[in-house]
Amino acid sequence: MDILIYGTINSVALALMALGFALVYGISRVPNFAHGAIYVLSGFITWTFLRGLGLNYALSIFLTMLIIGIFGALLYQFILIRVRGIAISEIIASYAMGLAILEGLRWGGFKGMSYTLPVFAEGSILIGGIPVDYQRIIVVGIGGATVASLWLFTHYTRLGLALRGMAQDERAALMLGIDSDFMAVVAMAIGAMLAGLAGILLLPLGNIVVEAGYNVLILAIAVCIVGGLGSWMGAVLAAFIIGFAQILTVVYLGSHFQMVVALLAIIFTLILKPSGLFGMQKQLEERV
Amino acid sequence: MKIRCVGVWVVLLAVTMVMIPGSRVTAAEPITLGCPLPTAFLYGWDAERAITLAVEEINAKGGVDVGGTQRPFKVEVMDTRDLEPGVPVSEALLAVEKLILEKKADFILGGPVRSEAALAAMPLLSKYKKVSIVSSGVLTPKYHALVEKQYDKFKYCFRIHGEAKWLVKEILTCLMQIKEKFGLNKLFIMVQDVAHARAAGKILGKLAKKKGWDVTGMEIYPTGTTDFSMGLIKAKKTGSQVLSLWMDMPESSILLKQWYDMKIPALPFGSTLAAAEQPGFWEATKGKGEYCLANVVNAGNAPSEATPWTMKFYNAYTDRWDIEPEGLGCSSSYTAVYVLKHAIERAGTIDPDAVVKALEKTDMMGPYGRVRFTAKGHQIIPSFDPKEGAVGTIFQWQDGKRVVVFPKSIATGEIQLPPWMKK
Repeated sequence: MDILIYGTINSVALALMALGFALVYGISRVPNFAHGAIYVLSGFITWTFLRGLGLNYALSIFLTMLIIGIFGALLYQFILIRVRGIAISEIIASYAMGLAILEGLRWGGFKGMSYTLPVFAEGSILIGGIPVDYQRIIVVGIGGATVASLWLFTHYTRLGLALRGMAQDERAALMLGIDSDFMAVVAMAIGAMLAGLAGILLLPLGNIVVEAGYNVLILAIAVCIVGGLGSWMGAVLAAFIIGFAQILTVVYLGSHFQMVVALLAIIFTLILKPSGLFGMQKQLEERV
Repeated sequence: MKIRCVGVWVVLLAVTMVMIPGSRVTAAEPITLGCPLPTAFLYGWDAERAITLAVEEINAKGGVDVGGTQRPFKVEVMDTRDLEPGVPVSEALLAVEKLILEKKADFILGGPVRSEAALAAMPLLSKYKKVSIVSSGVLTPKYHALVEKQYDKFKYCFRIHGEAKWLVKEILTCLMQIKEKFGLNKLFIMVQDVAHARAAGKILGKLAKKKGWDVTGMEIYPTGTTDFSMGLIKAKKTGSQVLSLWMDMPESSILLKQWYDMKIPALPFGSTLAAAEQPGFWEATKGKGEYCLANVVNAGNAPSEATPWTMKFYNAYTDRWDIEPEGLGCSSSYTAVYVLKHAIERAGTIDPDAVVKALEKTDMMGPYGRVRFTAKGHQIIPSFDPKEGAVGTIFQWQDGKRVVVFPKSIATGEIQLPPWMKK
């Protein structure tokens, strides 16, 4: 029972961390290596609104999501668009932005372990005799709702369908009048908001530290490679595979192999099926 | 005319009075203290603040008397990043070398903080004949063992805070008190996947077994772990009553929050548990860290009356930085500056060999007790009694305060169990 409960929680947390990265790559083909930095930045922005300016928690979250979405769009519009299509430059530019954000935060005094966000609900309950705190249950609930919303958005809204069209074939989408640059900006904004949502949901479980940005990036990349770069449904499935594998490893092998699971998953995927579970070689429709 | 003359003399006198004492202090060449520290981490910035405080106090009183000349101290800090995951040791070595060659450091104080980096820096210090006093982090017993083994080469290296073996002894003694008082005897060890923590966990487990403890398990967590639930469930299933935690990563606060939320019936006992050492821990965890024990290596890093200087230092640090002493590098880094000052004054020179000889003869009362170094290992002599040696500190978070509970000689309160552990 404990494996099932904490395996699910861990998997949903991983999916939340990776969704934004997968979505941005799926649509714009830009690997956003600033993803982890945006995750941490959202935590610090919320903290500033909440503790620094004394705003209401819900309002702080709303404003953070808004700001982080605009930030993602601007990041693409003013930096990444210039190197779009040049794979190495995209990686260098986005990674440099990530470093600038994280080290800038550290330089700005956001260091130490005293930056925390409150949980949405205090307390815990027993599920099958296993104690689980409410925040983790909320993470699972909102994580599931996010995946469902994303699916509905990309299948039943004009904007979502345009995004899918672009993910499937950019040239064909252009011929149908879809502005590919605008769609990439939208994708980046949504991707940043998803990273922000993950931060706002998961950071209350611990504290907001700059180093988390690097860890989140590694985990997001691992999930996306296993799931197939660009496929967010693949990312969700991969999150469950890695999430449960990590928990099983902790139970049967030892905690210190936990991080190895994600890295081994990358290695095995690249050896056995480089495109991942739902990668480019799979059906194009499944990407978005 | 007469009035004019008097006026000129008054002005000249005033200028002379201003210039003479000023020229004395400003003209004297400062003694540069090079501090290689991970400034973005608790064990780096707490040491930097403590060193700065001591230097400001000393300079305000005229500086250091070097053979009759008053010379001020000057602090040069360089970021070693040695506590950051993935940063190679060579970064710390570059910082040390830069301090020596570019900043012309006369002495090295504080770090490097990570044991591996401090060990690697020893040959550099020997090469440039720079006297160094490590005062934060660096818990490995290898440090003083190396000095002892190759004295002629490494005689410039001193350590002014407790090391891992002594820490284990303190923890074991404290565990025995817990066993005696509460009848607890099941120990679960959770450590970070770094050299000192793994080694300390193993040694603690072995020694605890010998002392009659039932060691129910040992979990090793990679740096950056964000979920400890399965380990905590294991601890609960095995009926563990004390959790021994050796982690300096910030994520350890997640562990303590989970421990509280899951109401694990085991007392958390941390060593180098950076998250719990900071005064802001209570606010950061919204009180969920209550009952957590933490070893902060030396007295003065939590409030106690170990010596008359302890609270004097504690209050001075609080006034200067608007926060109480924050981590295990505070009181030792502060003391290191004073110990060095006295050694230079006794030597009458800053010549490294003369200062080494003077440091070896150190015998003074500091904020955490009597400060003396072992003859050949240059390791501070520890004790449970501040009159005999450097005394450690284990505190427990109780109602928002860090209450010193060990050793008995300086304790200000008793260990308490969380309500869900009381029968």
